[in-house]
Amino acid sequence: MARAAESMDGVFRALSDPTRRRVLERLSKSPASVSELAEPFDMALPSFVQHLRVLEGSGLVHSRKTGRVRTYQLAPKRLRLAENWLARQRDFWERRLNQLDAYLLELKEKRR
Amino acid sequence: MTLPSLLKPDPTLDLVLERVIDVPPELVWAAWTKPEHLSKWFCPAPWKVVDCEIDLRPGGMFRTVMRSPEGKDFPNTGCYLEIVPNKRLVWTDALLPGYRPAADPFFTAIVTLEPRGTGTRYIAMGMHRDEAGRKRHEEMGFHQGWGTALDQLVAHAKTM
Repeated sequence: MARAAESMDGVFRALSDPTRRRVLERLSKSPASVSELAEPFDMALPSFVQHLRVLEGSGLVHSRKTGRVRTYQLAPKRLRLAENWLARQRDFWERRLNQLDAYLLELKEKRR
Repeated sequence: MTLPSLLKPDPTLDLVLERVIDVPPELVWAAWTKPEHLSKWFCPAPWKVVDCEIDLRPGGMFRTVMRSPEGKDFPNTGCYLEIVPNKRLVWTDALLPGYRPAADPFFTAIVTLEPRGTGTRYIAMGMHRDEAGRKRHEEMGFHQGWGTALDQLVAHAKTM
């Protein structure tokens, strides 16, 4: 259960950024190389590659290297997990209660 | 601690989360029932609670306004059903303050606390409405920020 919540956290983190969302939208059309993906963005390549790493770390995409070209594609399985309504609700509640626990410990410290 | 016997979680619709924390029940209770506390944690970052109103009695208002990272506000209004200080709190959005039926009910939440050593064991249970109700809530809900992009992706993923 905790692991599912953690992996959902990764998915939501990946999806929380507009650049990464645009990359995902682009990949929903077809697989693409790093340079094809980077082309529409006015961003230094190393920063852009960081975004790709976050996406890959979340399991939303995977990549394959052929010669000198790395090609990215969507990973539909993880997307279906993100689509699962109850998993999202659970993720929401887990994060909410994590914040509650952190806040309570902080309150308790202050009252000492 | 077990849930009251009339509560029967449905695994396809309901969530039951249990935590143990080394903080006394009175403090946990305050965090759930005082706006100045609840606003601090009730909404997972980067969303924020920007307004909160609590009238802590059966039928009394429980209202929060949650703000998305894009600055859009989503009000949620419901009422309390059961209040047993330091033990149990039940509320729903199926009824508005004064028990008036709501137009688009979605959930009932039950929080149960019990002392455990110097701390508290608490169970948060959320009971939700059927699929159709859930979808509508989701459309106005927390994932609005990336909902459209995700929907397109999911639609595409299904064809893969």
